[in-house]
Amino acid sequence: MDDDLSTDQQVLVDAAARFAEDTFPITKLRERAFDDDAFAAAYRRQAGELGWFSLVVPEEHGGGSVSGNGALDAALVAYTRGRLLQPVGFVGANVVAHAIATSGTGPDGGAQRERALAALMAGDAPGAWVVGNLSGAPALDGAVDATPNRDGPDGDGWSLSGTAVMVEDADATAWLLVAAATPEGPAQLLVAPGTAGVSFAPVDGLDLSRRYADVTFTGAAIPASALVGAIGDRAFGERLLALASTLTVAECVGAMHQELEMTVDYAKQRIAFGRPIGSFQAIKHLLADTSTMLEVSKAVALAAASQVGDDDPHAAQAASQAKAFVADAAMDQAQACFQVFGGISFTWEHDQHLFFRRITTGAEQFGDAAWHREHVCVLAGIGRVA
Amino acid sequence: MSDEMIGVDEFRAEARAWIQANLEVAPPTEGRGARTENVSPEEIAAARVLQRKLFDAGFAGISYPKEYGGRGLSPAHEHAFAQEASGYVTPDFGGAGAVTFGPIGRSILEHGTEELKAEHLPKILSGEEIWCQFYSEPEAGSDLAGIRTSAVRDGDHYVLNGSKIWSTGAYYADWAMCLARTDWDVPKHRGLTWFVVPTNAPGVTVNRIEQIDGAAGFCEEFLDDVSVPASDMLGEEGQGWSVTQTMLVYERGAGMSGAAGEPRRVAPDMVALAAKVGRLDDPVARQCIARAHILDWAQFHLGRRIGARLRSPDRPAPAIAAYGKLAMGTFLPIRAQQGVLIGGSRALSWARGDEDARQAAINYLNGRMVSIAAGTNEMQRNGIGERVLGLPREPSFDQNKPFAEVVRDARNWSGKVG
Repeated sequence: MDDDLSTDQQVLVDAAARFAEDTFPITKLRERAFDDDAFAAAYRRQAGELGWFSLVVPEEHGGGSVSGNGALDAALVAYTRGRLLQPVGFVGANVVAHAIATSGTGPDGGAQRERALAALMAGDAPGAWVVGNLSGAPALDGAVDATPNRDGPDGDGWSLSGTAVMVEDADATAWLLVAAATPEGPAQLLVAPGTAGVSFAPVDGLDLSRRYADVTFTGAAIPASALVGAIGDRAFGERLLALASTLTVAECVGAMHQELEMTVDYAKQRIAFGRPIGSFQAIKHLLADTSTMLEVSKAVALAAASQVGDDDPHAAQAASQAKAFVADAAMDQAQACFQVFGGISFTWEHDQHLFFRRITTGAEQFGDAAWHREHVCVLAGIGRVA
Repeated sequence: MSDEMIGVDEFRAEARAWIQANLEVAPPTEGRGARTENVSPEEIAAARVLQRKLFDAGFAGISYPKEYGGRGLSPAHEHAFAQEASGYVTPDFGGAGAVTFGPIGRSILEHGTEELKAEHLPKILSGEEIWCQFYSEPEAGSDLAGIRTSAVRDGDHYVLNGSKIWSTGAYYADWAMCLARTDWDVPKHRGLTWFVVPTNAPGVTVNRIEQIDGAAGFCEEFLDDVSVPASDMLGEEGQGWSVTQTMLVYERGAGMSGAAGEPRRVAPDMVALAAKVGRLDDPVARQCIARAHILDWAQFHLGRRIGARLRSPDRPAPAIAAYGKLAMGTFLPIRAQQGVLIGGSRALSWARGDEDARQAAINYLNGRMVSIAAGTNEMQRNGIGERVLGLPREPSFDQNKPFAEVVRDARNWSGKVG
């Protein structure tokens, strides 16, 4: 994605690619190997050893980036993951780990949160940020209702109710960070694995490379110490969304890169009407347009990641702008590539649909193009809504 | 002091100090859209004085060799100066400035004889000579190798006849770089030659073209028996096409430097328009506002990326410059359309004489320019497809036959090949 990687970044990316190619090549994806809990757990731990879940955690908490800009490093890994259609809730685990590590100690001195952070960074447990409403769009005001619960574990907690759909890697072993609506405002609440009143319904979906579940909270009682950050800290939620959007964009752009490369190769080889089809302007121009939008997508993905990692005051806006641009470009590209392949890409056997599925999912997750355009206006304080 | 070794950071510091001491801070602008405005003689005179000041201080032609009046540093140094000078008043020669210092200067440097370089480059860098391009013709734009202006040898001179069009700023330029056909009996790319022509030479007529927005930045020219010394040639006779490649790379790379800062304020013109028509809270209008801003922002980051890739040591195909051009040619019409979608009737009409209020409509007109100028979007697509993606070429019907037969055969087009 970037021509100008430092040596350390190159090592990070090369190691990610080697691990991905060895551990989860497309044959494994087709076998749905990641649906197997033991395989998933082993994969997650190896990814943890490679540092995938530590890049956006400050060094004093045991994490560390390779370039000084953790979000940018994580975006480079995300790009490689997208290119090679890798599983694991990379975005969720990183967002939750980042949230915990950067929000200071909690009311309990942070014991539970230290435990969660260690598990996430090591890849011992999945992490998921529950922020979507019933259509999956980010609900920074709270995706789930949290009512004060004096009868809770430490006498001053909350009771959660609501449903969030299509949460990546959410299962009973996962640490969940829940964007909750409390009477005092939005709050990020950490829900430990095995909490009563939280149920997971695995869902089938378009994307075959990852796994998802709907999460339902039915009066789940959580302690006051579950609070990560402060109640009503909207900027904190924005920061997490910017990170989630940025990493999702980078994964999406990686998958786009690989899909277009396959498509261009095909256009050079496929013969019709006595010529390689790539010599026809109808095909050539479609691919040139697509390639241009991919080049723009790479540029905005890197710009957003770099600003998010720098804590730039415009980082949230940049992340939404990148997400809006890439989401449109991704779905346009998926169709363009399909059109060039023709009938072959309508078969299960051909790999194009695997990319098509992943790219479309990336375009939608953590807010689609229209959602992020509106969010750009909100962040800029345009109009009454702000 | 030896400039050979000066690092970019050190140079940047030197540039910053000089700029702060010597240049005026520019008034804030909310400039938008392609420049096609008229340039006055006073503005040109002021630009020449300012350019001379830069030249004398060693900040003109930073990446041009010292022997021709430049500084002999790298494009990265030049980029650093541009960044530092952003926000200050710098010489503004209108459209002809970009042409003079970009494609013209660079191709003289790359293809000119020693005499030609020594004669013109120092004068270009010091602001003494402004250049324009006699390039496109009424019947040859994107298909530039299909030009029909002829140059016929007559002793130690050539005699040029034909017509040219879309020359940016020719009405105030001193010199023109003119592409002409010196051989009609060879295939089209092989019969071309570049000539150096003073715009006030006998037989040259320059007319300004009134554009769709009423401005007149471009010109058309007629060449009637214009006599040019045989030595005033850029490159060799018949080698014009390889010179053209150099020019096109710099022409398409123009505006790619990304010296200006990242656009951060959300499309101020669109927000103002939405406010004027009471649509700041309308979700549809808000989508349009954000869409316009995201295109500006994306174009900026693409430009920065392409600029960095072109400056990097492992130089990629220069053809990637076409990404910037095609993106801009695609984005600007979409952006201009957002203004009409937001403003509705108020974008299409305004109080008589209200220059500010008519800007959305002007942008709607001028927003198309980049999709055509310096090679249409389709030409960029061909370039990206063939020279970046490596897709096979389209079959050609004019590559291998004498140009004199090309036009005749095309008029009798049957659709049959061979």
